[in-house]
Amino acid sequence: MNRHLSLQQIAEYLSGDTASVDLRHIEECEMCRGDLVRFESSLVLFRTCVHAWSVEMSAKPFARLDSWGLYQPQKKSWILSLAFQSLAVAILFAMASSPTVRQVARQAIEVYAPDLAAYQPETLTRQGGGGGGGRSVLPASKGKLPRAALKQFTPPTAVLSNSNPKLTMEPTILAPPDIPLPQVASNNYGDPLNRLGAYSNGPGSGGGIGIGAGNGVGPGTGPGAGPGSYGGIDGSVFRPGRGVSAPTLLYKVEPEYSEEARKAKYQGTVVLKVIVDSTGRVVNPSIVRSLGLGLDEKAVEAVRKWRFRPGYKDGKPVPVTAEIEVSFRLL
Amino acid sequence: MLVSNPTLPAGETSSGELQDFDSLVRLYRPRIFRFMLASLRDRESAENLTQECFLKAFQARDQFRGAAAVGTWLMQIATNLVRTHEGSKRLKFWRRTLGTCLDLAYVGHWIPDLQRSPEAMVLAREQVEAIWTAVASVSERQRTVFLLRFVEDMDLLEIAAVTGMKEGTVKTHLFRAVQAVRAKLEAIR
Repeated sequence: MNRHLSLQQIAEYLSGDTASVDLRHIEECEMCRGDLVRFESSLVLFRTCVHAWSVEMSAKPFARLDSWGLYQPQKKSWILSLAFQSLAVAILFAMASSPTVRQVARQAIEVYAPDLAAYQPETLTRQGGGGGGGRSVLPASKGKLPRAALKQFTPPTAVLSNSNPKLTMEPTILAPPDIPLPQVASNNYGDPLNRLGAYSNGPGSGGGIGIGAGNGVGPGTGPGAGPGSYGGIDGSVFRPGRGVSAPTLLYKVEPEYSEEARKAKYQGTVVLKVIVDSTGRVVNPSIVRSLGLGLDEKAVEAVRKWRFRPGYKDGKPVPVTAEIEVSFRLL
Repeated sequence: MLVSNPTLPAGETSSGELQDFDSLVRLYRPRIFRFMLASLRDRESAENLTQECFLKAFQARDQFRGAAAVGTWLMQIATNLVRTHEGSKRLKFWRRTLGTCLDLAYVGHWIPDLQRSPEAMVLAREQVEAIWTAVASVSERQRTVFLLRFVEDMDLLEIAAVTGMKEGTVKTHLFRAVQAVRAKLEAIR
């Protein structure tokens, strides 16, 4: 009886039916025993896996909570709720009214209003401009502005009083010739800002158009256009030359050296472009050639303190552009 | 040697147990679900069929004669459900789809990690995989018998009662299944 186990016998042994299996052979035969043990351990492993799988993935039943029901309003709960909420409010009030907390809160809130003046664009005081009018009862009519020129021979008029002049001359306004004028699609002259209407020179005086006085257009006085006086267009800036005198320096402040530039032994020239307004102050400085290391800012700071005798045109001060070189030299 | 499942006392025939259906479900549900899962390899279907099994048992609890243990009776319902489920044409498509992506229902992921070395883990996984594919390849009856024997630890008489087959038939089916499994295992050794 030393024959090895057949597959049939192994199956029977594993299924618990050992009637036809030679148990003594299993004990004796190393090979059969090893074979059986290996097979059985594989099956046990499989069984364990399936068990683990089913346990892991099955939704486990759980005891249902008895949370559904009809509850009457309970005295205790609303009293408790009221007590808790009043306590909370009382604590809040107590905290807010405590001098220590208030002191701390006052220290914590620090409102800081930054000075934005340095970042806001400067506006020129309204310089230049002109006005006129024909003492008419009607407001000045809308129309185009005449050409800008540095000399005015005839003022513009909306109403032609002489339809057959001996000597014709193109009307102009007195303004720097290179500044852009407001463009109005119209054939006749007039105030570009007014409304359309019957041709009129407006209620002003002096011969121009508008409500101002003088030979210009608009509400100002003088031969220019717009509010203001002495020619130009509402704050336009002249350039020196061609009848405009250059501003001359009256008072000067030497620029300081910045700390960084001094340490770096840095020198050079900052070129600024400024407008010298009709009062002789410097406005709108912009840097044309920069040096860096804080010297640009120092130059601007110094130049703002300078005072000029403004540029003149026809005996009247006008705003004039100028370039200023600020030199930084180390001794 | 395989040990018998301690959660199921043998020869339990009291129909009074059916009165407390809640505890019955708690006691037998893991077992039924495990069998369903191993047979169908699909968690959702297994959950559904487990639910249905208990529903059927509940509806038919008056007809339970007490001829067998309650566990056997429930398992009988379960095997019948599995058989009808396998035969249902509507689900054939889904089974085919599932068959192509076995990873989803791969039992080898659940090898308990008893501080085995990686090599041992790989070997164990290979064995489990071999048995798993072998079980998938045999016929439905053979699979049922195999699972009842080696996963649920039932003896031949119980299996015969559950499946309604004669003991000899059960033996034959079991032998065929073991043969197939062994062939797969030999192939990887």
